[in-house]
This record gives sequence, C-alpha cells and structure tokens, in this order.
Amino acid sequence: MLVLFLLFRFLPVVGAVFLSLTDYRISGRWTFVAIDNYTRLLSDSLFHQALVVTLTYTVIFVPLTVLLSLGTAVLLHQVVWKRGFFRGVFFLPYVTSIVLAAVLWKWIYDAQDGLLNAVLGLVSVGPIDFLGQSGSVLASIAVTSAWKGFGYSMLILLAGLQAVPKSYLEAAMIDGAGSWQRFRYITLPQLRPILFFVLVIETIGAFQVFDAMYVMTGGGPVRSSYSLVYFLYDSGFKYFDFGYASAIGLVLFLIVLIVSLVQRRLVGRDD
Amino acid sequence: MVNVLERPPVRELSESPAVGRRPVARLTLPTLLTLTAIVTIVPFAAMVLVAFAPPSGQTFPDALNPANFTFENFSKVLSSSDIPRWTVNSLLYSLVSVVCVLLFASMAGYAFAKKRFPGREIIFWAFLATLMVPFQATLIPSYILVSRLDWVDSYWGLIVPTLANSQAVFLMRQFIGQLPDELFEAAEIDGAGEWRIFTMIVVPLIRPVLATLGIFVFLWHWNDFLWPLVIGQSGKMQTLTVGLATLQTQAVPINQVMAGATITVVPSLLVFGLLQRYLTDSIAMSGLKA
Repeated sequence: MLVLFLLFRFLPVVGAVFLSLTDYRISGRWTFVAIDNYTRLLSDSLFHQALVVTLTYTVIFVPLTVLLSLGTAVLLHQVVWKRGFFRGVFFLPYVTSIVLAAVLWKWIYDAQDGLLNAVLGLVSVGPIDFLGQSGSVLASIAVTSAWKGFGYSMLILLAGLQAVPKSYLEAAMIDGAGSWQRFRYITLPQLRPILFFVLVIETIGAFQVFDAMYVMTGGGPVRSSYSLVYFLYDSGFKYFDFGYASAIGLVLFLIVLIVSLVQRRLVGRDD
Repeated sequence: MVNVLERPPVRELSESPAVGRRPVARLTLPTLLTLTAIVTIVPFAAMVLVAFAPPSGQTFPDALNPANFTFENFSKVLSSSDIPRWTVNSLLYSLVSVVCVLLFASMAGYAFAKKRFPGREIIFWAFLATLMVPFQATLIPSYILVSRLDWVDSYWGLIVPTLANSQAVFLMRQFIGQLPDELFEAAEIDGAGEWRIFTMIVVPLIRPVLATLGIFVFLWHWNDFLWPLVIGQSGKMQTLTVGLATLQTQAVPINQVMAGATITVVPSLLVFGLLQRYLTDSIAMSGLKA
C-alpha cells in the first residue's frame, strides 16, 4: 500500500516539479530546459488571458456563493418550519456533478429555447445569449457553480450560527438591540472564523474551475471563459506539451498555497 | 477534489431559532425561504419534465403537460449512445474505489494513529503535504505515469491511481487516534494478533466513519470529471459523467440529453435520499468536501 501512495501520490508531486523544468513531449523524449517554461509563461498572452479569466471568475463567484450560503443559512436558522426539508432541498444540487449542473444550465441559458429566455420572454425581455457574450459568460457560469455548490457552505455556516451562544443574543435584546444590530455586532463576529474558512475553501475551488467551462462554453466565446486549468488541459492534452502544462499546474499550486497560508495566518490561533 | 484545510471547531448547540422575532418576520422569512427553495429545485424539475416530454413538441411550455409524458427519449438515448456501458464503468470506478479506499485508509489510519514505527511522523507529514497540492497540478505527471504503465484507456489506469487517497487516510487517523489506547493494550495482553485487533476492535469501532467516508468516496468518483476524461479516451471507457458531457456536444436532441442527465443523477439522488442525515451531519462536524 505504501508503494501505491509512493507511486501515485508522491511521485506525481515530485514529477510535476521535474517535468516543469523539461520540455517533455508525448514521444517521451525530453531535455532539461531549467526555467524556460516559466519565462515562456510570463510572455504568453494565453496565460495572461487564462489568469485574468480565472481571477475575474473568482471575484464574481466567491461573493456570490458566500452570500447565497450565508443567506440561506440565516433563513434556515430563523425559520423552524420544515427546516429539515428545506435544508435537504438546498443541499440537493451539491450531491450531483458539476457536469450535470453545467448541462442543465447550458440549456436554461440557451438563447433559442432555453428556460430562462422563455421566462424573460413572458415579460418581453430578451432573448439574451447569456453564454455567447463575453460580458455575461463568466457571471452565468458562476451562477451555475454557485447553484451546484452553495449547499456545502450553507451547512457549515448553519452549524456555526447554531453555535452562537443564545445568552449573548438575549443580553443584546434586553439592551435594546434590533435584529440587524444583533446580527451585525454579535452573530457576525462570532461567525468570523467559520466565514473565513468558507471564504478560503470557495476561493481555492474557484481557482480550479474547469468542468463547467469545458461543458458550457468550451472556453469561449473567443477564450472569454478560458481558465487556468483549461489552459493546462489544452497544453497537456491538445498540444501534448507536458512540460509546459506541468509549469501551469505548479503556478496553480502556488496560488492555492498562498491562499491557504493567508488563511492559516489570519485564523491560525483557532486551530 | 480534496479539501486541504481543517475547519475551525464548532460547538453543537440546540437547533432552536434565534431569539426575538417581530411578527412581520414570521411570514416574510418563510415566504423567502420557500421562494429560494423553488428556484433551487426548478432546474431539476425542468430536467425531468423535458426528459419525459414528447420529442416533437416544443420544450417549453408544452413540456408541462403530464398527459403527453413518454419514455421515448429514454429508450432513444439508451439505444443511440453507450449509456449502459458508461453506467457499468461509473459503477466500477465508484464501487471498487469505495471498497479499496475504505480498506487502505482504515489500515493506514490505524498504523499512523496507534503503531510505532521508524519514520512515522515524517511519512505522515508527507501525506499531509500531498493534500496541499491540487489534483490538477499533478494531472500531467499522473497521466504520464499511467501511460508508461500502459494503463491509458483501461480500468487499471482509471481506478488504481485514485486509490491513494490521502484525505481518507488523514480522516481515519484522526478518528482512530481518539480511541483509547487501553483497548489495544488489553487486546495485546489477551494475545490478539495484529490482524485480529484490526478486524475485531478497530473495524467495529470505526463503522460510522467508514459509512460516512464511503458515501463521500462514492460521490467523489461518481461525479468526477477531469481524471476519467483524460484516462477514458475511447467511447467504451468513458464514465457516465464524461459521457453526459460528450452527449450534449453531439447533435443529440435536448429531450434525450435531459433523459441521459436524469439517468446520471439517479444514483446520487438515491444516496442523498437514503443517507441525507448522515451526509449533512458529517459535513457540519468534519468539513468533508465532495
């Protein structure tokens, strides 16, 4: 079993670093090129595009999903009525695959006979080609991913909300604090570490976006939904430029590492 | 694919709502909740409706008429695509992985938690370190490794590399570490061998964790996309999730795509329906992420 882990867990990690310093091709032939792949990345306009797309997507997706999961968690916490049922409904998309979500929403967004444009048509709006315009494509994909995944963060935030000591809230109420004030000055500060955890998990997830783009847009229109992992996938499995693709993977690793280290620093005392 | 961070601890308290709500809130909040729930469920409902709608008609709003429901889309998509074969592949990929990952992870977790052996700490930290590396960063070396073993487009290549699941080992080590040492000492004094201790003491005690982890491993594999996409290159070796993605790029009518989508989602829904409580509780407690 240790062999299994050595071979398939450790070797690929070491291999990624090694490959990124070579020009490994599909033939298996390679030469050592030192940091050439990285300098090539710096001047590659596709890499810049992928980086900008991934960052833009992250900036749209993370607030969207955190607000959605916090909103539903607060609603579930406040309303006792059928809580188990509603929690189940919100969690349902989470157990399905992102590919399924992408297939469903691709049809929902469709300009010709999509559900959303049919509904908008009833109030004489559109049709809007949500996935066909560079201005709306990333937001549309972000909505899809948020729909698919918000149930996870919602559950974690709900557990956090339920752990806020009730005596604090009661004391604040006696002192005359309204519901917004209680939320803003008691619940939110108490929730801070958990909110932060959710923020980091969702940010890391956003940087790894690929499946939804592959299925919904193929990276288009004109590479306006072409993420880092998409760039990695194309470099590896379309151009078979394995060394270059490995370098992209390490850049991704570096970004994820920095995000987690920032989290460790900021909430390190809670561990 | 894996979650690399430890969640901050949460104290479990009562499920009762926050104190002091104004009368207005009593109606607006449930209404808001219901509306959000409807919006969440609409894509699924639309998927099922379109999957059962007659293929000739418009997809919307004719699809809403239950009088016209038909299984035609299902039979067509089943006969024109490789869905039965993809289902077998997905089941193999998921179920074999569940069994092996549970076995390996509980054994390795037990060793890391309760056994003393040289280099234990270093090896465990190496495990933790691999958790930090996103799967996509090791995609290329893993693929090259599989191709060197001549395992591309085979079940070996699909399944074996995913069995080295560090997150599962980590979870098992945390849980088994909490079991009292006296238990193992007593068993040893009574003359129980390693294998006997593992099967008679460890396994029965970790059964709830095994169940939870099993559900997650199943969902990870059933819903996985990038690895099966890269490894299963011929149509015969695709999983259901990859197959669904290829289905909708071909000129397959939308009713049939939705019928295919409905088929892929059934196992997830079964897991969800039967084990929802288990899943939601374990996320709240441990922060496991599928």
